[in-house]
Amino acid sequence: MLQKQKLRWLLVGGLFFASFGGWVLHVRIHPPPDLAVNYVPFAAGLVSITAVPAMFLFRKTLAYAYVVNGMLVIIGTISMTHFSLAYPPETVTFYALIFNTLFPDIVILFTNFMLGKAIFELEMLKDQETGARQGRFLRYPNMGWWLVHLVALSGVYLLGHLFWK
Amino acid sequence: MNRFFLWKPGWWILHALAVAFMLWLGHIVRF
Repeated sequence: MLQKQKLRWLLVGGLFFASFGGWVLHVRIHPPPDLAVNYVPFAAGLVSITAVPAMFLFRKTLAYAYVVNGMLVIIGTISMTHFSLAYPPETVTFYALIFNTLFPDIVILFTNFMLGKAIFELEMLKDQETGARQGRFLRYPNMGWWLVHLVALSGVYLLGHLFWK
Repeated sequence: MNRFFLWKPGWWILHALAVAFMLWLGHIVRF
């Protein structure tokens, strides 16, 4: 097995384990039968431990896995930030924002994004000179494209939350 | 081939679905 193939399996394994741990934690903390909204992390987690790792293993589906994985991370970031805002710490201090919100959970979720990006880069982008990069920070598959989507998805989510009662 | 992304119908369909999904998600998630 080539070193690159081995690395891909290891990274996909890391992605699977991080997702699986997060999914089990979610099921324990927010059991789906208790509340309909708990099915959101349940379903998102299920996709991220089945379809996403499987899609990362094949070159044909790798680009889709990269997008789906990143979007799931964005949705998780938005919904956990929403949860933290809905249940803020009693006194807002720097310490409380770090330790008494879902900040650590969001940070752990970023592992999934980084692993997905690592698998994508390993397979699709050979080096820094690849055409997809040059001067195109805001375009797919670069980081600016993800930032635009984080902002856009947050905005649309907020509109749905505020105006669709 | 490789046309500007805004001229592709798939881009608009995908984004319409994504916007609808995120509006719905914001609507149902009530903590």
